[in-house]
Amino acid sequence: MATRVDPTFFKSLEKFGVKDWKDCYHCGNCTANCPLTEEDTLFPRKTIRQAQMGLKDKLISNTDLWMCYFCGDCTKTCPREANPCEIMRSIRRYQTSVYDWTGLSKKLYTSAAWEIAVIVGIGIIILALFGLFLPPSAELWSNPARFINAQGGVMINNLVDGISGSKFLYIIHYGDWVMALIAGGLLISNIFRMFYLTLWRDTSVRIPLTAYVTEFWRLVYHFLTQPKLRKCDDKSYWLGHITLMTGYTIMFILIVALLPVFQTEEIVPWYNWQRILGYYATFGILVFLIPVIVGRFRKRQCKLKHTHPTDWHFIIMLGLTALSGIAVHIFRLSGMPLETYFSYVIHLAILVPMILIEVPFTKWSHLAYRPFAIYIKALKRAAGRREEAPIPQFA
Amino acid sequence: MEEVRIGVYVCWCGNNIAKMVDVQDVAMEVETLPNVVIARDYKYMCSDPGQDLIISDIKKHRLNRVVVSACSPRIHELTFRKALEHAGLNPYMFEMANIREHVSWVHNDREEATRKAKSLVAAAINRVCWHESLEKRSVEINPATLIIGGGISGITAALEIADAGKQVYLVEKSAQLGGFASKMCLTSPFMYSTTQMIRAKINKVMNNPNIQVLLNTQIEELSGYLGNFTTTVSEDGRDLELKFGNIIVTIGLKAFDPSVIENYKYGILPDVVTSLEFEGMLKAGKIETRDGRIPRHVAVIHCVGSRNATYHDYCSRLCCKNALKYANMVRAAIPGANIFEMYADMRAMGNGCEELYSVTSKKNVMFLMFDQHNGLPEIRKAGPKDNCDMIIELDEKLSGERIEVPADLVILMVAIEAHEEAKRLAQVTGVSMCGNQFFIERHPKLDPVATTTDGVYVAGSCQAPKDIPDSVAQARAAAARVLCTISKGNVEVEVTTAEVNEDRCCGCQTCISVCPYTAITFDEEKSVSVVNEVLCKGCGTCGSTCPTGAIRAQHFTDLQILSQIDGLLEKSMELKEV
Ligand SMILES: Cc1cc2nc3c(=O)[nH]c(=O)nc-3n(C[C@H](O)[C@H](O)[C@H](O)COP(=O)(O)OP(=O)(O)OC[C@H]3O[C@@H](n4cnc5c(N)ncnc54)[C@H](O)[C@@H]3O)c2cc1C
Ligand code: SF4
Ligand code: SF4
Ligand code: SF4
Ligand code: SF4
Ligand code: SF4
Repeated sequence: MATRVDPTFFKSLEKFGVKDWKDCYHCGNCTANCPLTEEDTLFPRKTIRQAQMGLKDKLISNTDLWMCYFCGDCTKTCPREANPCEIMRSIRRYQTSVYDWTGLSKKLYTSAAWEIAVIVGIGIIILALFGLFLPPSAELWSNPARFINAQGGVMINNLVDGISGSKFLYIIHYGDWVMALIAGGLLISNIFRMFYLTLWRDTSVRIPLTAYVTEFWRLVYHFLTQPKLRKCDDKSYWLGHITLMTGYTIMFILIVALLPVFQTEEIVPWYNWQRILGYYATFGILVFLIPVIVGRFRKRQCKLKHTHPTDWHFIIMLGLTALSGIAVHIFRLSGMPLETYFSYVIHLAILVPMILIEVPFTKWSHLAYRPFAIYIKALKRAAGRREEAPIPQFA
Repeated sequence: MEEVRIGVYVCWCGNNIAKMVDVQDVAMEVETLPNVVIARDYKYMCSDPGQDLIISDIKKHRLNRVVVSACSPRIHELTFRKALEHAGLNPYMFEMANIREHVSWVHNDREEATRKAKSLVAAAINRVCWHESLEKRSVEINPATLIIGGGISGITAALEIADAGKQVYLVEKSAQLGGFASKMCLTSPFMYSTTQMIRAKINKVMNNPNIQVLLNTQIEELSGYLGNFTTTVSEDGRDLELKFGNIIVTIGLKAFDPSVIENYKYGILPDVVTSLEFEGMLKAGKIETRDGRIPRHVAVIHCVGSRNATYHDYCSRLCCKNALKYANMVRAAIPGANIFEMYADMRAMGNGCEELYSVTSKKNVMFLMFDQHNGLPEIRKAGPKDNCDMIIELDEKLSGERIEVPADLVILMVAIEAHEEAKRLAQVTGVSMCGNQFFIERHPKLDPVATTTDGVYVAGSCQAPKDIPDSVAQARAAAARVLCTISKGNVEVEVTTAEVNEDRCCGCQTCISVCPYTAITFDEEKSVSVVNEVLCKGCGTCGSTCPTGAIRAQHFTDLQILSQIDGLLEKSMELKEV
């Protein structure tokens, strides 16, 4: 069956950041230059083609997009300056919004006002919850010394009157669980939709059940080590990316799973594993952020030339999370209970909306979509069907 | 016969020859051959000191023949002939042996190469013994010019020649001047208005006293040769005899008829139109379907009849940039239309065209590529649910998908073909045609406006598909060539022609049928063939076919060639008596 082209489709893509979608004239330099293409996974040219022609269904079921790690090598050699790496990224945003069944992702990506409103809204809810249920003890002002422990640090779990140390800790702990459940649940439901759109919807593909098991290792392996990214020209990019990813993941685990051992009353020595992990997470985030911020301002690297509003929101939220976290830590160590309380509340008012928005709906979802796309691709290969038509042979 | 005194010069060509041929050995050995008075080797024979060497030797040693063994005669035969002339010798008393292209560049055994060089030089020495003095001849040029075809090429050439004060007869088959250029609206890639361009030119032609325009006129027959042609045309029912010295043929192009391509349903579906018909719409100022609606989807199909073994193998060169022009014009006229360009390869070549392509691709035009070898796009009438008039189905090459494209208007970029008159005019004027019936220039690189017939030039799209700038450039080049011959007043013609020995000719006329330049006529009275020395190119074809040996090609006589072969075979190098 022939697919009908849709010359108006680009309009829906343009909202996700694709600006130069018409410039590409399909010389294929980008594909030749991309270190990650494979015989049956030809991008970015082919993906750009599907977008240009408005082949929506093909584009939605295309998992190749996630094989691209946004290294920018392709953009350097494009003779038409079509910026293929940016097009790929924009289409990934589009796909993220398609995988999301709630429709919120599309709103967040296509309207900066929406995104800011949702972030601020959740932030205010967090502040309000603290104000209503966990208000600061009045003694924070009158008798701050009461909150200092033997080592001279702030007893962080005892800053609220009437709520003893472990009770406060567990309120936050369970609160984190609720947050993780909402974010994770939504993300998982979106992943199912991704499976449906890219794999199950096409009933002609029969995946052997055993493949789900035998190919599963790829998911874990690619998530943890990102071996594909290492193939890109700029090796420091891999290092930066993996530091960020591990830092972020560790932060997530510390907060959600290990809060009771992380947020302890006494201050453990610096070489203690909790503290080292905490430092590593902060370091990982900053190491990645600083060059990206500098790069986005300088606009010298081609892949950092175009900045979508959500890119700045991501950078700002992540940066503020790290900075407020550092502030809590410093205030705590220096025995400043009042400052500790407020920086702690602000830290959460930034962190919670960031996770709730970015994990299931926007930027951070790629943490899951990318390895899952690799997994799905492996399943398709296992089904003995090449997703792409054979490479045309020129006579 | 006078004593034969030959000087032989073996060139090193720097190191080009000397590295593979022992030039000193060659010179030393040939010096011993009969009739050779002096043999030398020298670094660069073609240089001024090299030529001076020959000139002084001719004087000092009373030489009457010269052999230079060097590069190809194509490069330097004329140089050395001139040197002989300087020294007072007839330039045809000269022979060249090519020991560079034929020896040093193609061999890698120095000894063998030297041996081969020696035989070639010996052959040249043998041949030159039999060379005869030939006298240069020239013919006078009638300063009037005939231009056949009144398109932009013909008009341009006519104005150029008339402005130089010379008479022009501009013959046009149809009732008006202008050709295809006057059927267009704007020209790609710079969007000039043709009306403005062509109207002004036509007015100039009409008002120029040096140009006689003959409309509704054809050239049926032509006689004469370079400098002195005659023809008779009918004007207002009476015969008019025209005399002129040169001819420029500019009969232009014809548009391909796409109804032979079934896939496109031209002539069946009303809104499938050719590019030429679309130009008509643009000129009329409205782009609409046959029943007067504004099309929402416009598709342009490239390469219709071009680059396809079934129709024409060649690329028509104009249609890609024109198709881009149409996309821009449709976008300007119907801003909301969906525009599709279906192309096989984008070949918008020439000044400003790549830029036009870039600009067009930013105007929301969907470019779709098809592969001629995997089947052409197919147009069908759309169904009731399709929300358009036609559907075009094709295998899109860049995505690898089979796709459907909606269309309300389809423009077929038809191929440019040779004019249907081309074949007849080729016979009348003696110009050669290529397999596609375009006229062939004398040399595709070095002589792009002359033809193999002296005095006949070609310009414009009758020689190959050309756009207006190329046609105009070629027309001006042809005019310049014609003006050169006119201002010189006469031209030198080939002296190495054939001549008929009337005593031997049996009147069989075989030669007439083989001469590629129609240079031979039959003298009924004497019942013998006669060679027209102005038309003859000395190709020798008649000489080799004449059953009685009556034709002798000057400078290529049997004796000259047989002695040359003898020399090559190192046979007797004795001078034979005739
Ligand atoms: C649809 C279309 C669109 C085009 N668009 C462009 C454009 O945008 N830009 C551009 O640069 N070029 C364009 N061209 C090309 C342009 O038309 C040609 O380059 C140009 O017309 C060539 O001029 P010409 O004088 O060589 O031939 P023609 O224009 O074909 O003129 C030849 C003339 O000779 C006459 N003739 C033919 N046979 C005889 C005979 N036996 N005796 C006497 N007269 C004879 C014909 O009647 C005609 O008047 C287009 C061509 C087509 C078909
Ligand atoms: S994006 Fe650039 S490099 Fe890639 S095919 Fe298109 S024009 Fe070529
Ligand atoms: S950004 Fe890098 S990985 Fe992505 S398509 Fe371009 S070259 Fe390939
Ligand atoms: S005569 Fe020919 S071979 Fe000799 S130097 Fe000149 S170019 Fe070279
Ligand atoms: S110019 Fe373009 S449309 Fe015309 S024949 Fe050549 S490739 Fe085909
Ligand atoms: S071929 Fe020879 S014999 Fe016959 S007509 Fe010609 S010149 Fe005469």
